Amino acid sequence: MKNKSSFLGFGTLWPYLKKYKLMFIRMIIMGMMVSSVDAIYPLFNRYAIDHFIAYKTLDTLPMFIALFVVFALAQAVVNYFNVLDCSSIELYINRDLRNNAFEHLQDVSLSYYNQNSVGYIHARVMSDTGKIGQMASWRLMDIIWFGSNILFSMIVMLIVNWKLAIWVILIVPMAALSISYFQKKLLILNRDIREQNSKITSNINEGITGVKSIKSLVIEDKMNRHFRDDTVSMYRKSLRAAHFDAMFNSTVAMLTSIALGLVIWKGGALSAEHMIEIGTLSIFMSYAMGMLFPIQTVVSSISQIVAIRVNIERYVNLLNVEGEVRDSEEVIKKYGTSFEPKYENFEKLNGDVEFENVSFQYPDGDELVLENFNLKVPKGCNVAIVGETGAGKSTLVNLVCRFFEPTKGRVLIDGEDIKARSLKWLHSNIGYVLQTPFLFSGTVRDNLRYGKEDISDEKIMESLSMIGADSIVNKLKDGLDSNVGESGDMLSTGEKQLLSIARALLADPKILILDEATASIDTVTEKIIQNAVSKLIKGRTSFVIAHRLSTIVNSDVILVVNEGKIVEQGNHKSLMKARGEYYNLYTRQYEELLIDSRKEE
Amino acid sequence: MKGKDIDTKLEYSSRMSLVSDFLKGSRHYLFLTVVFVCLLVGFELVNPKAIGYTVDLIIGNEEQLPGFIKSFIEWMGGREYCLNNLYIFALIIIGIALIGAVCRYMFKLMNTKSAETLGKTMKDTLFDHIIHLPFSWHDQNQTGDIIQRCTTDVDMIRDFIANQMTQVFRMVLVISMSLVFMCRINFVLSVAAFLFIPIVVGYSLFFHGAIGKSFMLADTEEGNLSAIAQENLTGVRVVRAFGKERYEKDRFENKNAEYTKLWVRTMRLLTQFWTINDLIGGIEIMTVVTLGAYLTVKGTISAGDYVAFLSFNGMMIWPTRELGRVVSEMSKAGISIDRLLYIMNSKIEEDSENAVEFPGNGDIEFKNVTFSYDGASVLQDVSWKFKKGETIGILGGTGSGKTTAMMLLDMFYELGDDNGRITINGVDISNIKKSSLRQNIGMVMQEPYLFSGTLEDNIKIAADDVDHKMVMDASRISSLDNAIEKFTQGYDTYVGERGVTLSGGQKQRTAIAQMLVRKPSIMIFDDSLSAVDAVTDGKIRKALNESIEEDRKNNNNDTTVILISHRITTLMNADRIFVLDDGKVIESGNHDELVSQDGMYSKIYKLQVLAGEGGLDEE
Repeated sequence: MKNKSSFLGFGTLWPYLKKYKLMFIRMIIMGMMVSSVDAIYPLFNRYAIDHFIAYKTLDTLPMFIALFVVFALAQAVVNYFNVLDCSSIELYINRDLRNNAFEHLQDVSLSYYNQNSVGYIHARVMSDTGKIGQMASWRLMDIIWFGSNILFSMIVMLIVNWKLAIWVILIVPMAALSISYFQKKLLILNRDIREQNSKITSNINEGITGVKSIKSLVIEDKMNRHFRDDTVSMYRKSLRAAHFDAMFNSTVAMLTSIALGLVIWKGGALSAEHMIEIGTLSIFMSYAMGMLFPIQTVVSSISQIVAIRVNIERYVNLLNVEGEVRDSEEVIKKYGTSFEPKYENFEKLNGDVEFENVSFQYPDGDELVLENFNLKVPKGCNVAIVGETGAGKSTLVNLVCRFFEPTKGRVLIDGEDIKARSLKWLHSNIGYVLQTPFLFSGTVRDNLRYGKEDISDEKIMESLSMIGADSIVNKLKDGLDSNVGESGDMLSTGEKQLLSIARALLADPKILILDEATASIDTVTEKIIQNAVSKLIKGRTSFVIAHRLSTIVNSDVILVVNEGKIVEQGNHKSLMKARGEYYNLYTRQYEELLIDSRKEE
Repeated sequence: MKGKDIDTKLEYSSRMSLVSDFLKGSRHYLFLTVVFVCLLVGFELVNPKAIGYTVDLIIGNEEQLPGFIKSFIEWMGGREYCLNNLYIFALIIIGIALIGAVCRYMFKLMNTKSAETLGKTMKDTLFDHIIHLPFSWHDQNQTGDIIQRCTTDVDMIRDFIANQMTQVFRMVLVISMSLVFMCRINFVLSVAAFLFIPIVVGYSLFFHGAIGKSFMLADTEEGNLSAIAQENLTGVRVVRAFGKERYEKDRFENKNAEYTKLWVRTMRLLTQFWTINDLIGGIEIMTVVTLGAYLTVKGTISAGDYVAFLSFNGMMIWPTRELGRVVSEMSKAGISIDRLLYIMNSKIEEDSENAVEFPGNGDIEFKNVTFSYDGASVLQDVSWKFKKGETIGILGGTGSGKTTAMMLLDMFYELGDDNGRITINGVDISNIKKSSLRQNIGMVMQEPYLFSGTLEDNIKIAADDVDHKMVMDASRISSLDNAIEKFTQGYDTYVGERGVTLSGGQKQRTAIAQMLVRKPSIMIFDDSLSAVDAVTDGKIRKALNESIEEDRKNNNNDTTVILISHRITTLMNADRIFVLDDGKVIESGNHDELVSQDGMYSKIYKLQVLAGEGGLDEE
């Protein structure tokens, strides 16, 4: 990965950048043109002073104005296109990098999502790409603009008077050295400040989310003291950074004046002896004053580009994540890829599932969570998986969905190893209802058609009324065309739950995975959902991560999971008799019984 | 209740009164910032003047120099001497610049001091206020929104007062001072230069107002794109399970293309603006250069003045261009102040007048307590009396009102005048100081909150004078010690947001230990053993009983224990048990009495305890 020949890590990104090669070249050439004109401007002043003022004549004034206007206009026009190129490059690179990352993420195996938080992955797609784009455009442009400005200014000075030029040029290395010293220092100090700032934010978060504990423990004063310790530390860190920043600024200003002083001292003497004209002195003064800002910008751009390396590495790492679960070459040949499937070769799925001597260990885990596990689930059979939160109930589900593959052994569907068919084939036959119902922004119809795009409205309404969810749609002003909001947030949890069940029902899968919600929903909705679930799992091979007693008690097989392993297996009666883990869990489910018993009365 | 640490007004009538409170402690820094800005600008402007004089000296325009410069030259030893020792003038110019640099340093430092003091005061005040706001306020407001107000809005106001205002002040100062100096050199030339200021500022104000919409649109679009990515990543299992990779990819690419197009358009507008702005600037410079040259040739101004004028003009251009942008950004601050006003004008918890200290442990009595929240009835006519030293059990499902009853006892919610009374030792709790009451009531919640810090920090958080032995004792009673032994860092294990994630049961046991070291006279376990298994549950209750008994014998303390649970085995040994359903007490008595009553308690008892012995078969 760490390719030494790659220019600051940008080399690894070249495949994505080379598309804009011509634009880059044009940007660089135009940038140099713009800055060369900037370097020439002081010459106009010189002419004004040495010609008009020295000879007290205005003879060439119209010519002078005309030339000035031509230069200014030409520069403005070139600059316009130059800046447009630059911002286009930034935006296009951002776009391409984002698209690439996003496409890749659709193909990465799910273990990647288990190992990295959504926030982390999201930052790679949205923020790293933005930073890289900015570096490849604006920071690069800054270096070209100001770098060539320094270069052209030096050339002009050397041509006009090389003896005087050397005095000004002497300042450049001094400036570059001291600026880069301050830059490095400030980079570290500012990172400190950001960290301290996020600490304060998390303190605020703690003060708000923990307010009940704070009040009941009567520790308001203590929390205040802690908070103030952190804000004081923030204050101190900011001041330290400000001290360096101010020193930096003052140093740059001083260096400018020293350059100016040198010009006046050396140049003034030459001028008094009429060795140089006063106009020449004046342009040297302009160059001396105008040189520091470009140096400062170039140094700071370089240090920013160096710092971007981290983002580039993180981005490239994302693209290099290989899907651990992939279709083999032969399978792809027959069934196509996820993006271009060959539906015509897809076999019909019947629904028998079998685990054959399956052992499994998570890629990031250190022990086997399944060892020689055997289970036959005939078509239409319901399996309930129960256990505490975080006990590892999703392992079997992950294997059936082929989100992960067994370390040893095989998972068979209809007697065939699932690896012999494509992922797309499997997934187009599996229905999935999440614990936290997940809807995408868009209309109700978009969401319900998520599995199959050609479903008619009649069919949709039919399924909705079958599970008693038609009232949701009828209640909405725009019916099926109503927007559900970001992640479906315009709807209540219960409504989202029902719609996601309807979505699975419409997709009509042979195998169903259901992760039941634990969230408390009002009794009426709860009853409707229970009903809907029982309708949904009827006649399908189902794996239910179950919390509802009615689902569990009526299952054909109950698997009890603890600390990642299956500790008990059987049906309700046999497990209650065993007085083990299941019994323990069951006695805690009293709440629902209370609801049920009240209904009976 | 001791009240807040920071003395602020109870209610702010206007934005100004809030800002003026926030400015406490940073006013003098702001004043010094302004002083140093003035000095800095002054020295920045003196420099071109000094250079101009030197140039005049070099080219022999001494006649046009002001008197004090002439006498200075005389005093130095005449023109010849000066020209041979020009380094003196160079040093003078560097010297002036040095003073300027000191001023610049002081300005930056004072500016940061004022900004950071202001930011700190705002954050401290808000934090203090927020943790003193009543619990019901926190119920009604979203965490994310409050955090946003405490961070983004605070920064916005801080930048407005400490940075943007000083920036504008500096710009206006530079522009007007330059103009003054320029006018003194030549009036006509100054008018020519001045004419451009309203054009540039006006154009930039107009443009930034107009492009605001375009930026907002692009920002919204960025938010949408970001949301799509977020949705896709969060819902990745749904995407895969429904085989919609292609669909998602197309959706993202389309949105991405739209967003990029929008930004390209915005950038084009922005580039047009800067190009035109540059052109206006170029024309301004050209006008000044040529008109100045004309005047110099005519002999109206000296060559040195001409050079100085060009420098002043150059100084003025940058602030003139920036002024419009900064001013148009400043308008956002008002909204932020309003958002903070909302927090600061929310009423904090207060004790009633003449509130007394906790009256000592005694009987707890609810008399006809009725309570509704958000329009929904939670408790209806609840009356009960817990005797001092008793162990009380409360059984009830979700929404039965059991937690609310305890929240009322701890005064998290206030009981209205006609909604009954709660008394401890005969004193109405609304007449007891909240801090004193809460210090004497220990409440362990079902989902306890752990603060970032070590386990020991968390256990000791509400009792500073506790030594390590007491922490260990409390951990033993709450069966936390086994869990702690498994951590390599033991009691120093870091927990909370940035630390190790504890399981629900471990959190509950930590909270129990945290309560035990406080030694409150009333202990409430609000479903706080739900995440530990039945065996540990029993072990904890046994150890707890023993320690309370010991305490009773040795220190004559009669601790009242209130257990709330779903689990019959947790409650069955309590002295008295109340069954709550739908906000009403439907049964009460000890275990044996309740079982024989054949009500809800006995039904649940059968389901839970007898089921395992084959009792469920009857169902």
